[in-house]
Amino acid sequence: MGAFFALGIFQGAVYGLLAVGIVLVYKAKRVFNFAQGEFGGVAAFAAFYLVVNLGLPYWTGILGGLAAAVAMGLAVERVIVRPLESASRTIMLVALVGVALFTIAIIVLLGQPVPRVMPPLVEGSGVNILGAGILPQQLILLAVLAVLAAAMAWFFKTDLGLAVLASSQDTRAAQVVGISPVAISRLVWGMAALLGGIAGLLYAPVGIFTPGFMTLTMLVPAFAAAVLGGMTSLPGAFVGGIAIGVVQNLGIYLLGQQLKVPGAAELGVFALLMLVLLIRPQGLLGKEA
Amino acid sequence: MKQLLKVDGLHLRFGGLQVLNDLSLTVREGQIVGLIGPNGAGKTSCFNCLTGIYQPQGGRVYFDGRDVSHLPTHRRARRGMARTWQNLGVIDSLTVTENVMLAQHQRAGYSALAGMLGLAGTWHRERELRRDAAEIIEYFGLDGVADERAGELPYGVRKTCDMAMALATDPRLLMLDEPASGLSPEEALGLSTTLRELRDRLRLTILMIEHHVPLVAEVCDYVYVLNFGELLTEGEPEAIQRHPEVIAAYLGGTAESPAEPEAADDDTVQFASEPPEWPLMAEGKSNGTA
Amino acid sequence: MATATMTFGRIKVARRFGLALRVAVVLALLVLAALPLLLGGDVWAQRISRAAIYAIIGLSINTLTGHAGQISLGHQAFVGIGAFAAAFMASRLGAPLGFGLAAGALAGMATAAIVGMVALRVTGLYLALVTLAFGLTAETTIFNWREFTGGGAGAFAPRPALVSSDHAFALLCLGVLALVLYADWRLVSTKAGRALAAVRNDERIASTLGINVTGYKLAAFSLSGLAAGLAGGLFAHWNQVVQAMDFEFQVALVWVLMTVVGGLRSRLGVILASAFFALLPLTLPNFLAGLPWQPPFLNEAVYHVLPPFIVVVMLLIVLRFFPGGLGQLLRPATRWLTKGGDR
Repeated sequence: MGAFFALGIFQGAVYGLLAVGIVLVYKAKRVFNFAQGEFGGVAAFAAFYLVVNLGLPYWTGILGGLAAAVAMGLAVERVIVRPLESASRTIMLVALVGVALFTIAIIVLLGQPVPRVMPPLVEGSGVNILGAGILPQQLILLAVLAVLAAAMAWFFKTDLGLAVLASSQDTRAAQVVGISPVAISRLVWGMAALLGGIAGLLYAPVGIFTPGFMTLTMLVPAFAAAVLGGMTSLPGAFVGGIAIGVVQNLGIYLLGQQLKVPGAAELGVFALLMLVLLIRPQGLLGKEA
Repeated sequence: MKQLLKVDGLHLRFGGLQVLNDLSLTVREGQIVGLIGPNGAGKTSCFNCLTGIYQPQGGRVYFDGRDVSHLPTHRRARRGMARTWQNLGVIDSLTVTENVMLAQHQRAGYSALAGMLGLAGTWHRERELRRDAAEIIEYFGLDGVADERAGELPYGVRKTCDMAMALATDPRLLMLDEPASGLSPEEALGLSTTLRELRDRLRLTILMIEHHVPLVAEVCDYVYVLNFGELLTEGEPEAIQRHPEVIAAYLGGTAESPAEPEAADDDTVQFASEPPEWPLMAEGKSNGTA
Repeated sequence: MATATMTFGRIKVARRFGLALRVAVVLALLVLAALPLLLGGDVWAQRISRAAIYAIIGLSINTLTGHAGQISLGHQAFVGIGAFAAAFMASRLGAPLGFGLAAGALAGMATAAIVGMVALRVTGLYLALVTLAFGLTAETTIFNWREFTGGGAGAFAPRPALVSSDHAFALLCLGVLALVLYADWRLVSTKAGRALAAVRNDERIASTLGINVTGYKLAAFSLSGLAAGLAGGLFAHWNQVVQAMDFEFQVALVWVLMTVVGGLRSRLGVILASAFFALLPLTLPNFLAGLPWQPPFLNEAVYHVLPPFIVVVMLLIVLRFFPGGLGQLLRPATRWLTKGGDR
């Protein structure tokens, strides 16, 4: 049981990292970014291509992966988000779902749907935490999550961050500050893609990865984490991510292993999501707005 | 005359903002009653409490002698409370005819399921409803635009359509939210004829929010004045116009003030409908960014 | 057309002629659509069944999203539950087909009604998230519950003798589609359709007009689930075996996109788009194999992702250039066919 707890914390770190990007986009644009996971997918596959297929050094893989993610983020902003600015939120969400499926399809077309193994950032055997073997890669992931969540929370206290927030209330308010809404939109999507890319790069080496690995298994828990944290709170995304990871793994332990319920991990996440939305819709750390 | 609407001690708060404070008023059958006051006084919030869109923290609403305080909005509507909206209560994607037929919902005379199954009676009733709608549309002079989508029509026409819809619900009490706003002074005075005619011919009772003082003075039997969520005074229109506090609070300078903002049309949370001290936000909302 | 009682004889004739022409066009289109069924053999009969089932699913999503303005990204759960319920009735209880389909429809309806209750509290983007999570959970939990679904091997749903041939089954599917179409048409032409339009646009206005917003939302979910469950039941007997992997949650996403591409609130658009995406995976491999030049990266797995790829490309085109979907493109034609150019 302790091992499941520890596994949950580290599994939760990747949810938290995705949730930070989701919260960023929601705070700035009031949009649910269903393409957040695929920023990571693109980064992971680009890095794999550079490092494994071409045999280039690891740092080029990281840079190339992040560049690919940011390029995708800016492309999504230009091609999808901006033209649909005036469409309903639901249409925007459907389009972003489309972006995620589209990206997965492209990756499959170019790279075949075979499992891949990405070498880790740091070699070495795992450390034992509460009876669970935790890879160095996962320790890095948790640390990076903490740093990035804090950095994003700080960002929203800077003048630029406040301008981004103001633009979510009223596009003209940001213009008064002297920043064009288009620049803010680019900035937000570029940053979100960067965060997604980091998540993908750090998580891909933890196990084997296949096309769509970030969207198909990570996205819903990551959204649950963001909602649990209150959707606009960055510390909330951090705490929410870890909490979802723990609940998921305790679900696997209690429901799956003890009671033999199929799909225990998903059931745990769904139950927690419903509980939060029905009882405390503003989330654990969320304030109104 | 019988009391049709009685409001007893309404209290409404949004967070720290006291929107309505111990508001009581009475509307007798066959009366035309005005509800006036400066922007942010809580007039539209009062309507929202009466129709059940807001749940006030305290107070009761009696309609036709029965306590309706805990009824949901649609049940109050079915008892005969109809209203118009400052931002207009028309559905833009429907035509004028469809909008009026939409308002006839509660007297369609068949169940939704029967309609879906296409049972025999429903076809006939649909034709009757269409005929009734055409009559109402003609009464309001909308026949020329009956098949136009409401969203494509000018403001004044949509406002008339809103009024036609309120009437199509077959109400006993008609609650009008600024019926004269957006009309020219002559049109506003012409409205008084229409309102009297509605009362006398259809035996309606009317409660209206209005800024247009000449119209209020002309048509209302009784007036309530609201200021900062509290009842400032009440009385006959002539007396009200001479009331010094009213002149100070309201008639003094804001007769030509802009429309007060409606609550955000957000699909999740409704905040205070009338935040007087945040003009920037109000602008944003009217811009449709909510 | 009541107002168009023309006094000029010539125009009257033109009108009558126009009506005849319109009827002729509709009949010709119907005959054209029936040709594959008449001449295409079993392969086309199967394809038509699948297209009809997809069309029912598209109309089901259209009821919820198009009419009521609610979103469901977990629709495959309703269809899947209907499919498994029908298979369970057929293989475990040996019930007649009608009971199986009814059980499928009711199972879909009950599931959707429960999700609908959640939708009363949770709206908009959050509802999208909840339905997505629900679909995912249903996929991994209910559909993997061995006693109900037969686990990995799947549940069998043999066809009874009456509809055992592919042609007979295609007729059954088309018949059910016709019923669903009729119900949808009457729904939008009567008070429920107007009430849903009001609920979709502004719940507060709807409620002050005496419309029970809660009731209509729940009804829309139930109705959508009913159609989805019915489609699931047909799907079970079409394939004759149901497996959890038929109802992965990507399927629901493709269905929603497919419906939007067809055009919300456009029956014809939804049917055409649904049929297109039903046939795409069946016809695409043959089509690509017949090309004179073979793209190098094609293989089995690629066929699996090409339909989502194509639906997304179409969606992006639709959203940018004609937000009303295929229905918007078809509107001049449908308006002429139904109204004879009155408007």
